[in-house]
Amino acid sequence: MDTLVAQYTQPKFEKENYSEDDQMELYQPTPSLSLKFAMPPVAQPSAWLRAATDDHANPNCPIKIAHGTTTLGFRFQGGIIIATDSRATAGNWIASQTVKKVIEINNCLLGTMAGGAADCQYWLAYLGMQCRLHELRHKRRISVAAASKILANLVYSYKGMGLSMGTMCAGVTPSEGPALYYIDSDGTRLAGNLFCVGSGQTFAYGVLDAEYRYDLSDEEALELGRRSILAATHRDAYSGGFINLYHVKEDGWVKHGFSDTNPIFWKTKLEKGEFSNVTSELV
Amino acid sequence: MAAMFSQNPLMNGPNYSFNQAPVTAAGNKEHAFNPYTDNGGSTLAISGSDFAILAGDTRSTSGYNINTRYSPKVFKIGGTTSTQDDATLVLSVVGFAADGEALKERLDAIVKMYRYQHGKPMSVKACAQRLSTILYGKRFFPYYVHAILGGLDEEGRGAIYSYDPVGSYEREQCRAAGAAASLIMPFLDNQVNFKNQYIPGSGVGHELQEREKIPLPRNEVEDLVKDAFDSAVERHIEVGDGLQMLIITKDGIEEKYLPLKKD
Amino acid sequence: MNHLPQAWGRPRDDYYGAYDASYFQSNGPNQHTQQPIVTGTSVVALKFKDGVVIAADNLASYGSLARFTDVKRLRTFADTSVVGFGGDVSDMQYLDRLLNSLDTEEAYTSSGHTLNARNLHIYLSKVLYKRRSDFNPLWNQVLVAGLDEEKKPFLASADLLGTTFSAPSLATGFGAHLAQPLLRKVAPDEEAAATLSKEQALEAVKESMKVLFYRDARSMDKYSIAVVTKEGIDLKENEKLENQSWAFADQIRGYGTQVN
Repeated sequence: MDTLVAQYTQPKFEKENYSEDDQMELYQPTPSLSLKFAMPPVAQPSAWLRAATDDHANPNCPIKIAHGTTTLGFRFQGGIIIATDSRATAGNWIASQTVKKVIEINNCLLGTMAGGAADCQYWLAYLGMQCRLHELRHKRRISVAAASKILANLVYSYKGMGLSMGTMCAGVTPSEGPALYYIDSDGTRLAGNLFCVGSGQTFAYGVLDAEYRYDLSDEEALELGRRSILAATHRDAYSGGFINLYHVKEDGWVKHGFSDTNPIFWKTKLEKGEFSNVTSELV
Repeated sequence: MAAMFSQNPLMNGPNYSFNQAPVTAAGNKEHAFNPYTDNGGSTLAISGSDFAILAGDTRSTSGYNINTRYSPKVFKIGGTTSTQDDATLVLSVVGFAADGEALKERLDAIVKMYRYQHGKPMSVKACAQRLSTILYGKRFFPYYVHAILGGLDEEGRGAIYSYDPVGSYEREQCRAAGAAASLIMPFLDNQVNFKNQYIPGSGVGHELQEREKIPLPRNEVEDLVKDAFDSAVERHIEVGDGLQMLIITKDGIEEKYLPLKKD
Repeated sequence: MNHLPQAWGRPRDDYYGAYDASYFQSNGPNQHTQQPIVTGTSVVALKFKDGVVIAADNLASYGSLARFTDVKRLRTFADTSVVGFGGDVSDMQYLDRLLNSLDTEEAYTSSGHTLNARNLHIYLSKVLYKRRSDFNPLWNQVLVAGLDEEKKPFLASADLLGTTFSAPSLATGFGAHLAQPLLRKVAPDEEAAATLSKEQALEAVKESMKVLFYRDARSMDKYSIAVVTKEGIDLKENEKLENQSWAFADQIRGYGTQVN
């Protein structure tokens, strides 16, 4: 009866309220990474989002998403090497020189970031959550194949909505050995020995392909990863900053520094005589 | 990553936030409703060894008009009273002011609920992650804001987290956002992170030693903030009127207001 | 001729075209305000020592046509606040009804206190922000004038995007360009506004309305003006602009066929 009375005593113009769901969100103790997103109330959300964020088609668009990056990963006898630069650009503006483009999903799995930074951060964190749940449910570590497939299926379900990510998943498991997968927001998922992703990928491939062997020693492999990123930061204006280097082994990954490119470049040039196109004289 | 800061890169000369009429590929104007605008202004945050400073100018603009000379962009978050006296976190937002206000209120409510449910204030680290998911929750209809969150970490050191509109974030030493970010950020690189500073007499050319990086004392950081904004006011029309600074230390949050040029 | 008796006497496809069911779909595209149609021009307001003066003319334009000349664009609320509406008149009338029902509901709550101007401004800005987020904006910019919880003068603006701000003087629309500089000369900051007398504030606002009438082609010389103080609201809805001087008009050069 009370509800009936309440219903008919409501003033007519009292509908400008937020829904119960919106308000409940505040009370949830752990509103963990969810799959619920606010959508623009238009017929074509993806077209609308593009209008608001595509700075290539419309340089005046209000929200600019950063692009430009070089990331690489390769398999070798001692595990996997993952290396990235650290620059984020929006148009010609360098938004940051200290981006962490290697995302530590857990202590055995790494992901790399290219494309939309938020997309990569959010979905790789989500993947980390799924991997942990897998461990709890099955009492063993998830395989890299399975983990990468969770991510690939996930982004495929958002295909056409405007996600932008090109990522690599790397890990070493007893069942698979060193495993490296490439996943992008189109839904592509590829297993492989060697990948370079981003605007500087061609420059990195150039060095990496020339020197790559599966039986590289750990030291040689780390140096090759570093040298490939260095080549990309030298020739690709949208890459630069620091070289972020990781070595993935069966008992987990090991970080090998977040080092400034500039001293590495001059060291490489002056001590090894490479980059002879650049003069060291101050003319 | 702290990426995607659209903050007005100096492309083809100065461009202002209101150069924003939606243009289609053919160049003709669209007449659909545009839910965004840019209210100009700039924010800046620097962290120190035992403090963090967040600052913002107080001008609000639309086009060439000044809406008001006092509209704060820096807010205390998660206190238990309306005056936010016992707050431990600070959020700054710049971009579309209505989205900024909505974001601030949402985060504030969430941090308050956390305090009531857990009986302790939220850590900056937890709040930083939560803010990221809030922003990403509107990935397909973004809040048009560049947010910076500040506080003290578990060891009592100053912590600054900067965000892009859809929630990618990174902990940084310092960050400038908003209309004059492209004017302030290079200054900060040089003065806070000592970029391109070398020890005098340490050599010539490649022998030059980089200046050692040390955390700055509070009074020097406050002076840097003032200088950064005074310079930005000289060269950007959307920045001016007043400078609001919130300084977070273990003793609480101190607020300072200084006048800026009003022309 | 269709040989089926069911079709006899009914509209024929060859005559009317195929039956179009889409007219009766309930889930078709929504009709949202995409542009204002009947519009009100500027609202101007200024704080003074113990209250706020707010004014708006009584014209509702239909494009360049001065369509309705007796539309009151100031409305009082709970004897503590005045709302001035600029922009679309139909959306103004909707907000007016919304405020009426809010007023009714608040009158029945047992809390005992009424909504002050700050509460009202927050309410209106939330409504406007929600509607912009629904892509169905209320095409208005409103000024809320009144007293806050400490009985101090309060003046703030909210617009169709949900943007809000507060200042010692505010003006919407054309007034933001023409009136605001005049008002800022009288009250550059809060301290200056706190020394203004009611008479000074009234004079400055009336002067602004006059300047607006001189140069805003969508304005009119009949206007409403309200003064909100602790004593209540003094609303006059049929004021005429006084002491107009069009002497400047014959000094204007360079328009139309007259070139020098």
